[in-house]
Amino acid sequence: MPLKKAKHITEILDNASMAALSENELNEVRAHALECGSCRSAYEAARLSAVVLKSRAQVVIEPSPFFQTRVMAALRERREAESVPAFARLWKSAKVLVSSMALTTAALGVLTFVLPGTAVSDDQTLSAYSAESVILGQDPDDQMSYEQVLSTIYADEDEAK
Amino acid sequence: MDLDLARQAQAGDESAFAEIVRRYSPRVFSVASRFFRQRSVVEEAAQEVFLKAYTQLGSFEGRGSLEGWLTRIATNTCLNMVRSSKRRPESTVSDLTDDEASWLDHQSAGDGEQSSVEKDLVATDLADRLLSVLSPEDQQALLMIDGEDASIKEVAEATGWSESKVKVRAFRARKKVREAMEKLLGHRNKQLDSAAD
Repeated sequence: MPLKKAKHITEILDNASMAALSENELNEVRAHALECGSCRSAYEAARLSAVVLKSRAQVVIEPSPFFQTRVMAALRERREAESVPAFARLWKSAKVLVSSMALTTAALGVLTFVLPGTAVSDDQTLSAYSAESVILGQDPDDQMSYEQVLSTIYADEDEAK
Repeated sequence: MDLDLARQAQAGDESAFAEIVRRYSPRVFSVASRFFRQRSVVEEAAQEVFLKAYTQLGSFEGRGSLEGWLTRIATNTCLNMVRSSKRRPESTVSDLTDDEASWLDHQSAGDGEQSSVEKDLVATDLADRLLSVLSPEDQQALLMIDGEDASIKEVAEATGWSESKVKVRAFRARKKVREAMEKLLGHRNKQLDSAAD
């Protein structure tokens, strides 16, 4: 079978659906397919493809009885969502983030201003001890004023005399 | 009639829109069923079609039928869903299940006339496998023309493509599917030959 002829029938097969082929075209294809091996497999494949496509097209899912209700509910929900002001929608989406930030700030505030109350008094106690007293082992209450020191020295000198 | 219903629905008459949903949901489901086989996905697509239609009611001018207008919205919505889901795994058309192999053997032997639910299911699975080598647009064109006997013009109206585009898509799709089927048959013949040896 000439190659040109063989190409011709695959073109017929690809140009239109099997159902749309005229009786003459089908006869030509069948006659050619009997004599040409490659066109026979092409024809067989086209025939089976047509069968499976018909089968696939018959698969139609019917709407459930609740479909109308479902659509109307979805429509109302969408309209309600659209009627809410932009700020409210923004608040709705940012609510969790803002709440968590507020909570964190409050927790930090408590830690800073309330709980450290006892810690501050400790600090104050600590600050009461000067470096000198720590090093010399002196209690600040025991420290003498400048005048006291002078009077003590002079008193010692007087006693010595 | 369609235009009145559309205008009433657009004006906020819920019962008018509910009537549109009731009247045309079989058509929208039929379109969505070409793209999807799971009921939940088909329902999700159909719902999206009606919600989209509601927002676009103003663009329906009543020149064509409301059914045709909804069909186009349904087709485009489903095409977008398929594109965005990227659920097109590269199909391995060389591997046949036992049921598919058996179905092909029966068909090749010429006793494919006996139809049953199981056999139809196998044929449908096989069709989906073959169609998966095509783009969603080509699938649509081929299923409508070869599966539903729709005309080129009907496909053009449903999709919004030009008739020449539909012809090109259908030709290309038919050729690819035929070649994929030839590959399956060749593979099956090899299996049978090696089993006979």
